[in-house]
Amino acid sequence: MGSILGVNLALLAGLLLVPLLGGSFLAWQIGLFLIYGVAAQGVGFAWGRGGFLPLGNALFFGLGAYGAATVLRATEGALAVNLLAMLAVALACAALAYGLAVLLFRGRIGSGPGFSLVTLALVLIAGQIAETTPALTGGFNGLSGVPPLAGIDPFGAFYYVVVALVVLVTAGLMLIERRPAGLILRALVADEGRLELLGFAPHRVKGWAFAVSAFVTALAGALFASHQGIVTPQSIGFALSTELVIWAAVGGRVSPLEPLLGAVAIGWATAMLRDSVAWWEVAVAAIFLLVVLLLPGGAMDLVARLWRRLRPVSRSKPVSPLPAPPVRVAPPPGGELRLEAVGLDAGGVRILDGLSLAAPAAGVLCVIGPNGAGKTTMLNAITGRMPIRQGRMALGGHALNGRAPHQMLRLGIARKMQVPTVFAGLTVDETLRLALLAGRMRPSDALRRAPLRWRDDGLDALLADPGVPLTAEPGKRAEHLPQGHRQMLELALTLAADPRLVLLDEPAAGMSPAETQVMVRLIRAWQARTGACAIVIEHDMALVESLATEVAVLHQGRVLAQGALSEIRADPQVAAVYAGGHK
Amino acid sequence: MKRFVIATILATGFAGSAPAEVRLGVLVPDSGPAGLFGPSSRQAAQLAAEDINATGGIAGEPVTLLFADVGVPPAQAVQSVQRLWRAEGVQGFVGMHDSAVRAAIVSQLRGQVPYVYSAVYEGGECAPDTYVTGETPAQQLAPVIPWLAEHEAAHRWYLIGNDYNWPRDTNAAAQDIIAASGGAVVGEEYVPLGSSDFDASLARIRASGADAVLVTLVGGDSVAFNIAYAAFGLDGQALRLGTLIEENTLAGIGAANAHRLFASMGFFASIDSEAARSFDARLHSRFGAEAAQPNGLGESLYDGLMLMAALGNAAGSLEPGAVAAVADGVRYSSPRGNARLDHNHVAQTIYLADGSSGQFATVARFDTVPAGVSCE
Amino acid sequence: MDTLVLFLLNATWQIAALALTALGLALVFGLLRIMNMAHGEFVMLGAYAPVLAAQWGLPALAAVPICLVLVGAIAWLVERLVVRHLYARMFDSLLATWALSILLRKGAELAFGRQFRNVAAPLDGVTRLGTVGYPTYRLAVVALVLAGLLGLWLWYRRSATGLRLRAMVDNPALAQAAGIDTARLSAVAFVAGCLMAGLAGLLLAPTLSVAPGMGLDALIRSFFALIVGGLGTLEGLGLGASVIGGLQSGLSAVFTQTAGYLGVLVLAILFLWRRPDGLYPGR
Repeated sequence: MGSILGVNLALLAGLLLVPLLGGSFLAWQIGLFLIYGVAAQGVGFAWGRGGFLPLGNALFFGLGAYGAATVLRATEGALAVNLLAMLAVALACAALAYGLAVLLFRGRIGSGPGFSLVTLALVLIAGQIAETTPALTGGFNGLSGVPPLAGIDPFGAFYYVVVALVVLVTAGLMLIERRPAGLILRALVADEGRLELLGFAPHRVKGWAFAVSAFVTALAGALFASHQGIVTPQSIGFALSTELVIWAAVGGRVSPLEPLLGAVAIGWATAMLRDSVAWWEVAVAAIFLLVVLLLPGGAMDLVARLWRRLRPVSRSKPVSPLPAPPVRVAPPPGGELRLEAVGLDAGGVRILDGLSLAAPAAGVLCVIGPNGAGKTTMLNAITGRMPIRQGRMALGGHALNGRAPHQMLRLGIARKMQVPTVFAGLTVDETLRLALLAGRMRPSDALRRAPLRWRDDGLDALLADPGVPLTAEPGKRAEHLPQGHRQMLELALTLAADPRLVLLDEPAAGMSPAETQVMVRLIRAWQARTGACAIVIEHDMALVESLATEVAVLHQGRVLAQGALSEIRADPQVAAVYAGGHK
Repeated sequence: MKRFVIATILATGFAGSAPAEVRLGVLVPDSGPAGLFGPSSRQAAQLAAEDINATGGIAGEPVTLLFADVGVPPAQAVQSVQRLWRAEGVQGFVGMHDSAVRAAIVSQLRGQVPYVYSAVYEGGECAPDTYVTGETPAQQLAPVIPWLAEHEAAHRWYLIGNDYNWPRDTNAAAQDIIAASGGAVVGEEYVPLGSSDFDASLARIRASGADAVLVTLVGGDSVAFNIAYAAFGLDGQALRLGTLIEENTLAGIGAANAHRLFASMGFFASIDSEAARSFDARLHSRFGAEAAQPNGLGESLYDGLMLMAALGNAAGSLEPGAVAAVADGVRYSSPRGNARLDHNHVAQTIYLADGSSGQFATVARFDTVPAGVSCE
Repeated sequence: MDTLVLFLLNATWQIAALALTALGLALVFGLLRIMNMAHGEFVMLGAYAPVLAAQWGLPALAAVPICLVLVGAIAWLVERLVVRHLYARMFDSLLATWALSILLRKGAELAFGRQFRNVAAPLDGVTRLGTVGYPTYRLAVVALVLAGLLGLWLWYRRSATGLRLRAMVDNPALAQAAGIDTARLSAVAFVAGCLMAGLAGLLLAPTLSVAPGMGLDALIRSFFALIVGGLGTLEGLGLGASVIGGLQSGLSAVFTQTAGYLGVLVLAILFLWRRPDGLYPGR
């Protein structure tokens, strides 16, 4: 929604008008809610971009406030020391948040209420400690007589310090959105499991999102100490946490401006009207309820959507492409996939039962078998989606046991899911750019613009195939693609990171015969070009005929037969158990 | 013609200026944990304003009250105070709220406007141009503990309160007073604000063999504690003395659970005096069915406003310097009785009441108890 | 010896009171997956039922029908207007019910005033158990809770409605296909959960301070009991209440109340981190 520069200049102009038009007293009043607004931006970022709801962000606000207050009191507001101290506290909060998120989200898909309740419990603990340790926090009465930063008058020039923070944070958050980090976050919210297979560990991505949220909130808290001159346990309490969530919920959490506006509008209106309008709090609660029920993105999001509809669609400037750096994988295993006596149980059922399989180092191994034989589960076991009970899995020399799905790309393993999984909300173009980040990106690339311009010959060749229509509509949202195009998009995603072993789960499911031909062509071309191995699960025997260099039949969790297709066809056991179909 | 022009000029001159009045900011808790005292506070303040105006106002000018809700976190409370001061021209503040809000207000006002604090609190407020009518621990305990030792055989005290400044400071004062009266402290404990389960504490009280318990719990915690106390039959073992138990809390505790429950405050609705009875009568005639239960915290606003009026009348204005010059020794009277400003605190009458019947019945009265706060 | 007996009785009371309070939430959050942040307010409304009965000069037992009607009507309205749309949206149900809790609290303030209310215990006095005396009313409530939970457990296992409920919770689509009216069953379950909360408030009112803001404490403790015990089963509720109640009692008795309070929070965090399904995972 607008360029970063444009939006922030408008914001700056608007905020600077406040003391001009309303006087310094109004500026002081608004200043408090701008500070709270920045904290709400922190909550909005974690919730809107990270997809998890922190119910205890006042913890970071309070840590920032108490930390700043202590140092300000000790140093009488000396500028350099306090700026350093504020930064240090904010970084400490970021580190704490990162650690928390990583610990709580590791090994789990989804951001359920557990995380929210942990943050709630933490803020309750912090509030309790703040109230009862006067030596540290001044207890219930708090730390008062806090001199403002560098002696800047809270009723005068300090407003501009607050405005500076607001603009910096808004610009920073918008920047993150526009860079690879923003793309990764949007993919995270859309489909964590798919993102994992691109080599991004969801718990670490969420860790970074939470760290940014905590950093921003802590900075707001630090300015609060100067602005108010007093820090009490309310600044680290449950009530403030819930207010931040309410402001982010009502204002919106899609863009950084929205929670800010929510905080200023509701917070300031409450301060002004609470004394004159007896039912004000009821009204706010009712508005909150209505927004949650009817406008899930927040009130401001409605405005944003209308705006988007009114504005003409902007054409992005053509950018010069950059060659993508090579994929960073562990040293090439130069070997084949080996499964030995793998056993896997789930929900009380034994799905894999002594499964032993050796895939060729190069070529296409098609795995067939009746439904429930355990084909997809085998892939789940290989990629670490489900834990195995016994057995060994290795690719070349490298053991696969106990590895997490996000480590697969590192080992050169890529997977396409049974149900074509793409990222809802990302356009085709964005999906392809994300595909090229997988396995090639360094952490420091997350904030650079260049990685979004990467192009790869192999991917370009795939997209250039006449049967692939993806380049015709780069701006179409991935979830609006028909099934066949979605399969192709996911195939592109899977192959983009130059894998050595590709696991394709029913790549042609739901496709017309013509589209199936295209898929066969693409897979064959890729295999010929890279000399790697593909394991393809399929039901369509025509596809198996045209693709397979080897076939394995799975039945009741183990390999029934493996060899060339003609051998399999002749095998009486296979005939007894399974008869494939033609499309 | 000339006379007409002069008259017009004079008339315009007078019409331009607002009618002279004194604007006072009254800070009451309409929300938050003390929100239940909002109505009684407002009503007491309004009665005080009427009484002040009936005797000529402050320095000859009528008083107008502007209310603000300060039951909110200090940052928001301070917003209201600043708004009243800078935008509405308030010349003095009277407030009944918690100490955190007081600390915030004091650091914002910095003595530029006279400020009277009327709530029961922990003592020690020495900020410039800040005056306190609220009871201090020394006031509430110094005459009462020896009385209870003599009349109710209270010698072994157990101290229990919420874990923050006011209870801790109260208990610190209590320790000295108990020792001086020949008693002993057999236990001291603090529970988090918002506790609802006191079983462990009650077991400790029983085991300690205490015959008196000093209760410095607040709000719902006080109610829950006292209910559980009586449920276990501990009222037979030890009496209870509370320094923040007023009529609402007693109603929540209920008559059945209030046997041997004493309270020590500067005001009870049932005080047997002309001033208290007429206050009660006027409250009911003025507000009718809407009249809130008078209690020590709500009524304290009346005292606070009376002090402000007395200061303003003694100094001729509410300018802080002028007020400070004449403050010491200023007197006023209220439903509580007569009070005298001693430096910046008030030596006042303290009542000890017995709540056993479910209503407070005064059993002892101590006049002119000094606040025990020394600011150098 | 006395102290030990007293401690055990206290712990039992804590556990029973917590299980009673959390029961409604176990149904609504555990089975229906609605994070009902207004749960505490339904407890509060139930606690006001005896207040109303006394106000209207009715006998104490009249509080029970008053509670059922008051809480039931509000719960039904809430389900119809708000909760119905939120069955699959957990975070939105958290926020919407949070807004509702504010509205209910304000409504109670307007209707009843903010002052504390006292509810007389129907059973007065202290029962002597050996050398130790324990409040009679508390013992009665503990007995009632045990009987009630047992009855509920049997009902859930044996009855047709219980079976339908279990089917719906396990596989809503299949249950619907099998002819179970899931919308109506969910609504009934939600209202039932709120009614249980109201009854908890009613039973516990003589032991608590009754004021419009009393719900928050009940809410938080209920949530943490369910987290530790595991969602979706009565066994889990019992376990969770036992662990939380027992821990808080124990720490408060040995150390201080603050230690008890913090200890429960730390335990909840550990469970959320290491065993998010609780001690007795339902499925």
